[in-house]
Amino acid sequence: MSTSSETPAVPEVKGERPQSIVTRQVVRELERALGRERVISTPEELIAYEFDGTIERGKPQAVVFPETTEQVAVAVKIAHRFDVPVIPRGAGTGLSGGAVATIGGVVIALTRMKRILEIDAINRLAVVEPGVVNLDLSGAVAKHDLYYAPDPSSQRACTIGGNVAENAGGPHCLAYGATTNHVIGMELVLADGEVVWAGGRTRDVTGYDLAGAFVGSEGTLAIATKIIVRLLKVSESTRTLLAIFDRVEDASNAVSAIIAAGIVPAALEMMDRNIIRAVEPVLHAGYPLDAEAVLLIEVDGLEEGTIEEADAIVRICRDHAAREVRIAVQQEERELLWAGRKTSISALGRLYPNYYVLDGVVPRTRLPEVLRETYAVADRYGLAVANVFHAGDGNLHPNLLFDERVPGITAKVLEAGAEIMRLCVEAGGSITGEHGVGLEKRDFISWIFNETDLASMGKLKRAFKAGEHYNPCKAFPTHKGCGEVSQAQVQRAAAAMGAEIYV
Amino acid sequence: MSDVAVASRIDEFVAAVRSVVEPEHIYESRLGRFEVDGMLPDVALAPRTVEELVACLSEAHETGLSIIPFGGGTHIGAGNVPESYDVAVSVERINRIAAYEPADLTITAGGGLRLQDLQAVLGARGQFLPLDPPSGGGATIGGVLAANAYGPRRHAFGTARDWLIGSRVVHADGTVSKGGGRVVKNVAGYDMPKLYVGSFGTLGVIAEATFKVAPLPKLEATVVVACDSAHAACTLLFAAHDAGLALHAAELLSPPATSAVLGEHRWMILARAAGGAGAIDRSLRELHEMAAGLQAAFEIRDSAQTWRSWNDAFKPGALSLRVIVMPSSVADAIEVLDRRLVGSAPLLSATVSAGVIRAQLEPTREARAGVLIERTREVAERYDGTVVVDAASPAVKRLIDVFGPLRPDFAIMKRLKQEFDPARRLAPGRFVGRL
Repeated sequence: MSTSSETPAVPEVKGERPQSIVTRQVVRELERALGRERVISTPEELIAYEFDGTIERGKPQAVVFPETTEQVAVAVKIAHRFDVPVIPRGAGTGLSGGAVATIGGVVIALTRMKRILEIDAINRLAVVEPGVVNLDLSGAVAKHDLYYAPDPSSQRACTIGGNVAENAGGPHCLAYGATTNHVIGMELVLADGEVVWAGGRTRDVTGYDLAGAFVGSEGTLAIATKIIVRLLKVSESTRTLLAIFDRVEDASNAVSAIIAAGIVPAALEMMDRNIIRAVEPVLHAGYPLDAEAVLLIEVDGLEEGTIEEADAIVRICRDHAAREVRIAVQQEERELLWAGRKTSISALGRLYPNYYVLDGVVPRTRLPEVLRETYAVADRYGLAVANVFHAGDGNLHPNLLFDERVPGITAKVLEAGAEIMRLCVEAGGSITGEHGVGLEKRDFISWIFNETDLASMGKLKRAFKAGEHYNPCKAFPTHKGCGEVSQAQVQRAAAAMGAEIYV
Repeated sequence: MSDVAVASRIDEFVAAVRSVVEPEHIYESRLGRFEVDGMLPDVALAPRTVEELVACLSEAHETGLSIIPFGGGTHIGAGNVPESYDVAVSVERINRIAAYEPADLTITAGGGLRLQDLQAVLGARGQFLPLDPPSGGGATIGGVLAANAYGPRRHAFGTARDWLIGSRVVHADGTVSKGGGRVVKNVAGYDMPKLYVGSFGTLGVIAEATFKVAPLPKLEATVVVACDSAHAACTLLFAAHDAGLALHAAELLSPPATSAVLGEHRWMILARAAGGAGAIDRSLRELHEMAAGLQAAFEIRDSAQTWRSWNDAFKPGALSLRVIVMPSSVADAIEVLDRRLVGSAPLLSATVSAGVIRAQLEPTREARAGVLIERTREVAERYDGTVVVDAASPAVKRLIDVFGPLRPDFAIMKRLKQEFDPARRLAPGRFVGRL
């Protein structure tokens, strides 16, 4: 989403945007270098690559499917030589338009690079290609009682490469951190085709932490072609608790009280009334329809530890007027409690034909007031809002619900969304906790970073020789030539939104 | 530049900063505490605010003077010998806690705040920053970040990069930039704070840092397990790690290190169990059983005293090295090091799960130090590892790159330094590849 560009362009972050468009000649070169079976370029074939998990769209002129680092480098070099944009892409589940070819160009789809190259169980690491699906990695190392911790809700589909680009989070990053805490080294293809390793198999590589700075760079600095990730041991015991509240306020206060008691649960999620009302009729999870909020809390570790922590959490929830607290220990029961959370967004489709997912962060203690104000903003715009979010780390996901057939409603949704983002920033938070800035929020970034801050980021970009070749018009305030997403585009796209959206 | 030219520039600089920094915090004599590798600056300053720091840096930049940012000076022995050193800029007075909301588990403080003072403030609210470098009391958070210093708690908590969520940095030309923020989860903009961790002040001076913090464990217990060999000890440690025992630290000490820390000449595991009563009981019980299986002696020790002794033994000394290998190679590497470095009273302590082996050496003669570093590097290479020299005499350091061989991404690092500090005013020559 993009609002009026009152923000001046910040030339320091920007290099020179690629000037050329992809011609037949570029496509022919790509085909010659990679083989015809690894390049698509007809309009029908390209349709699937026009969008990601957002309402943004942009048509690439070619999509290539490299299978090796060398093929990535060759494709990048060709794009560089012809001065056309390169848009790296994983599974396309992103929620900020990061994989959308805003001004056209060559999409490099990394989905065929999906080999797990090495599992080093003793040292608890794996070397993977970027197209490996998040959950497949955990599946492949399960025989060693290991798993890969970051668990974005799209984990059945999203790729490790995409996770790296967005610094993806998930419910369990409260205790275990986001992607950046689990990726220690990467083989990178720079914008001119140079292949270089940043980081390595240990965290103690000397020099600047370029691997650390690369994670979350949203495809603007380089393409990761091999990724070294840390793996964690599966805990011997996990307890999942579901606490039902009559007041959102009480649930928020219970969240703060749990943290204040010195407990950092593995996950601490909240769902509000609209989510409950969407989920319950589908799932029959036993959420009372008149409840205002549900907390989903998980603790893991040694059996003795999870018993202690779960007991303490039950006490705290009761002290904060929880109507009911359920505990599940066995895997199946736990999954049932999680089911409501995991299907919550798609269940919203029952209430309204369209929804728009926001991603903001506030300091945990500001949650109650920001939630209150979020409801007020939605009210003011006459929109329904359903909140499902990572309460433990203050990461909100308000979903604005609407019917795009109502004239003028999409504009309202975008405005209300921007206003809610503003609330987060004013509460001392951020415009994105895990979905990325991408296309949607590039103009909001100046709410939290000034020109000097952005200029220093531009220096990192130049150090990577990235220019604007990789993923132009993303992650930073727009400059001329990036264009605005037109209302018509937004409306067309909103109409096409399906159930396969994750938060 | 002639000495006379430098002297006149210094005079010009001092005259200019007098209007900014209070005169009693401009030091032109007794500069011993600002020594770096045997070099003294011509002047040292301790600005009180970020604005004053900005003025100092831009003035030095314009005057063409080189600067070494100073925290508590506890890790100043790390890094290569500076190419030039005109001005020391101490951040010790920029030490205000700008924001601390315990329920948010975050804290924002000036780079000059001493780590122990930060811990005291957090401790009063039942929290802590799980970084425990062996630094002595003087280390500042800015210094700990710049040196990427860590201690035994790394076993459970990782390094500074995992806890730093926001930074405010003053660059060589006096510009100030912010990175990250004050919330624990944030993906807006590039993750700039990561770049300053371990940057040794070469990209900018860390004026303010925001950390996420952790609740203090309810209970702690420190245990020692005497083992017959490094291999036996590592087998036990891997088993404990796999069992998910609640250990916040798990070090393997060589016999001389055990002598220094605990007064016994044995391979020894030194572990800190932490958590709730149930988790601690269970962890101690299982450790005890594992030890019994190896016929290894198991004892509970006083936590504070034991770790203080460890800290004293492993804070930067005459020759302090850090060997980085894969965890699975630690047992082999540490046994070989123990043999190969014999005669230099090598104290070795390994954070096994992280693959880090610290070596504290007492070279009898200057010439011997170079040989010891060389030998340690040979051993590390045998296990695909690297060696970082955390402290050594200037004469020895002049002959080597203390960070070891250049990494493949050095070209990017070089461009990054060029972008942030093209005139090489900040800690010139101190970093990897003498950047």
